Amino acid sequence: MKKKKPLKKKLFLPPMSLSYEGSRASKTGTWRYLTPAYLNKLAPCNESCPAGEDIEAAMVLAGQEDCAGAWEKITQENPLPRVCGRVCFRPCEAACNRKEFDEATSINALERFVGDQAFQSGKRFAPPQEKKKEKVAVIGSGPAGLSCAYHLASLGYGVTLFEAQPKLGGVLRYGIPSYRLPKDILEQEIDNILSLGVEAKTGARVGKEVKWAELKKFDAVFLAAGAWKSLPLKVPGETAKGVMSGLEFLLRVNSGQTVALGQRVAIIGGGNTAMDAARSALRLGAKPVIIYRRTREEMPAWKEEASETEEEGIEFIFLSSPVKINTENGKVKGIECIKNVLGPVGKDGRREPRPIEGSNFVLPVDTVISAIGETPDFSFLPEELRKSTGSLPVDETGATAFKRVFAGGDFIAQPRTVSYAIGSGKKAAMAIDATIHGKNAVEGLRSARWGEKGSLSMARYKKGGTDGIAPEVVPFSDLNTAYFKRQARERKEKLPLSRRDSGFSEVNLGLSPASALYEAKRCFNCGVCNLCHNCFIYCPDMAISARPDKQGYDINYDYCKGCCICVEECPRGAISVEVKK
Amino acid sequence: MRKLMTGNSAVSHGVVLSRAQVISAYPITPQTTIVEELSEMCADGRLPAKFIRVESEHSAMACVAAAAATGARVFTATSSHGLAYMHEMLHWVSGTRLPVVMVNANRAIGAPWSIWCDQGDSLSQRDTGWLQLYCQSAQEALDTVIQAYRIAEETLLPVMVLVDGFFLSHTSEPVDIPDQAAVDRFLPPFRARYKLTPDEPHTFNIMADTSLFISFRHQAQTAMEMAKKLTARVDREFKRQFGRGYGLLEKFRCTDAEVVLLTMGTAASTAREVIDQYRRQGKKVGLCRLRLFRPFPAEEFIRFLSGVKKVAVLDRDNSLGAGGIVAQELKAALYRAPRKPKVFEFIAGLGGKDITPETIQKVIDTTLRQANPNGAPLWLEVEA
Repeated sequence: MKKKKPLKKKLFLPPMSLSYEGSRASKTGTWRYLTPAYLNKLAPCNESCPAGEDIEAAMVLAGQEDCAGAWEKITQENPLPRVCGRVCFRPCEAACNRKEFDEATSINALERFVGDQAFQSGKRFAPPQEKKKEKVAVIGSGPAGLSCAYHLASLGYGVTLFEAQPKLGGVLRYGIPSYRLPKDILEQEIDNILSLGVEAKTGARVGKEVKWAELKKFDAVFLAAGAWKSLPLKVPGETAKGVMSGLEFLLRVNSGQTVALGQRVAIIGGGNTAMDAARSALRLGAKPVIIYRRTREEMPAWKEEASETEEEGIEFIFLSSPVKINTENGKVKGIECIKNVLGPVGKDGRREPRPIEGSNFVLPVDTVISAIGETPDFSFLPEELRKSTGSLPVDETGATAFKRVFAGGDFIAQPRTVSYAIGSGKKAAMAIDATIHGKNAVEGLRSARWGEKGSLSMARYKKGGTDGIAPEVVPFSDLNTAYFKRQARERKEKLPLSRRDSGFSEVNLGLSPASALYEAKRCFNCGVCNLCHNCFIYCPDMAISARPDKQGYDINYDYCKGCCICVEECPRGAISVEVKK
Repeated sequence: MRKLMTGNSAVSHGVVLSRAQVISAYPITPQTTIVEELSEMCADGRLPAKFIRVESEHSAMACVAAAAATGARVFTATSSHGLAYMHEMLHWVSGTRLPVVMVNANRAIGAPWSIWCDQGDSLSQRDTGWLQLYCQSAQEALDTVIQAYRIAEETLLPVMVLVDGFFLSHTSEPVDIPDQAAVDRFLPPFRARYKLTPDEPHTFNIMADTSLFISFRHQAQTAMEMAKKLTARVDREFKRQFGRGYGLLEKFRCTDAEVVLLTMGTAASTAREVIDQYRRQGKKVGLCRLRLFRPFPAEEFIRFLSGVKKVAVLDRDNSLGAGGIVAQELKAALYRAPRKPKVFEFIAGLGGKDITPETIQKVIDTTLRQANPNGAPLWLEVEA
């Protein structure tokens, strides 16, 4: 009820009940006991990215056809989008809320598209704003080393990369075949990192060309020499000519050396190295067969790699283990295997294979490639660090037992993927930065955390964790999917099978610009206001207005009576409720 | 210009001539073709009005109410269940004193399902504060729409124009379409005294405290009383300008009539023929067609029926548990009449059942034959 002021002498009653003032006079905000507030939250993809990319923000920009902006968002965190866009195992898509609705957004393919587009339009890293006097040695130029070098160089440090091989790239160059990651793309990505002033010393193996003591002149050392030592098969005949490890084979193929394989090639193992070796052998004209001791379900290779291997017609023999390599004149002529059955579940959660007595069989082969696992080579490390087996122990900041010596990538105990390696390189860069400046590295890393899965954001680190994004992850149940229509996911085009066995051309062809835009627009933009206007439209008190800069909305709490319709109608969970006056 | 057209098309033409600015409606048989034609005219530019599509009649009425509150001339149309669905909004519109004009094509309300004519749908909205004008012909429908805007905008009361579903809505007859310029002279643009505008913000319908609510209602009642005179005056003006008038009560052969048949809508045109048959037989029978049901012209009835011996009320509706609604209203009005005719009540033609000359003969014969009415209305032509 509003106060009626008497008009003239006599009370004048209008024909309908109407106020003398506008509704602004009635401050309905006094009714409120629930208070809605804009609160950008974490998208599950961001939390799940081992490289700590701000995927959500990049998707918003890609959806606005701003590839350069999306590339900048990604490369704040990961200098290798064109690499990850090709080889990442995409935990982001496994976490994507959209998969609960129809299918996950093609984040990985979009990352590739954004990276390729940005490169073609001439986008390069900006030089560091300041130069610091401290210098850091990075041992190994794989994804971990490159990531660490990039982030440290961006922060202004002098970085020297030491690489044992004649060229940079580590596993990206010598492990991953070029049909998955073309070499020219890798080189363009590396060149971009080097342009920040990173000094690269190739053919410089620490412990051989470079002495450990020489590293003492650096203010910090990052060890990322990878896992290049193959585990032995431990069967008779392993030293014969024609037996090699998967990594050795891939290294030679990827170095451009000719490898004589003969006709039949047996690859032992079910991991990604085994798949890469088999597919490379196929492309060299051999007839590969993969021998794995368990079944398809237990294979550690990623599903997509395994299915592409199968697509290409490569034979698998499951539930079989090699027992002996048959030789003739010191050269492989066959492999003897024994059949297995799966026994009870072992320590690693997988069922253990058990040999069936008398089930031996022999395959005539010319080459045996063993790819049953790899381990880091610690032989170049000083005595105290060399004692470790399997992986190098590090603390939560990536620091080893040696002062100012950090480690990452496949050198330490973490999933052996490119994106984890990139994440560990970034983590070391932050820890080194904090340590050099006498700051608490643990605190520094905590401020950079994105969620609970160990993802770290350099952008957050630089801002001390104050980027306006709440740490909580938006679950699917917080989205209002009434605003989304079901749309099938765009898939990457692939090279026809007929063209795969004769060369190392890239198999995945990526997304067209139209498909990429479609995918970017499929993104729910979980947790982050993308100015969709729904809150403004639905607010029954007109308490919501666009900010003058059009970058968000303000709630006028004089009129917000706390109905929280805005919270309900926000498609992406970017408004939260506080229960207090 | 004379043109052959259906009652619904005549309504559409009336709306166009009245220069409605905002139209919102939801389709329902037998009204649909009214707004169908209007939407086409909005789409092709013949009618420069905003047509708002909605998901329900409740929203349609809410839309035109809001538009009227900003000072726009508005229109909507509905039937039966659609009208019932609007019920709440009908009260809001009249309470806000918004000059909304609506055409309702009369259709029985289910259950059981029926798309056919009776007047129960609009008569059951008699207490919502709307004027109700019942039409007999397509020409009258067109003319009444134009008149309705004048009445609505002068009284600030909403007006419902009723056309019998199918009997009028879907049958064709020659209609004289007045000139736009003539209609513009008759119906000037609407100038709202109170309207929603950002220049002068007001809240409409703020809560009226207990001391004021009754006063607002009393004002509306006073406006309704005025509306009776105004409707008659507007109709006279219309007749002066266009040569056609209808009155509040339309009388036929009533001058010396001892028995008067009272009905509403299209049944009256059938009744005209039957009345003439009785007149040829020398029976003093007349017909009265009630055009303005709300506000109910009680004084006019008292004057008119003074000296008439018997009134036969033919209701195309029924208030369950009470009887024909027109008959009830008439009896209540006659209570204060010094000389009261005997009121014979009949229910016929519900749910589209044809009211034939034979039906009307039964009404008149019964009224002539019986000295006194039965205790209850007589239902005609029902299955045992």
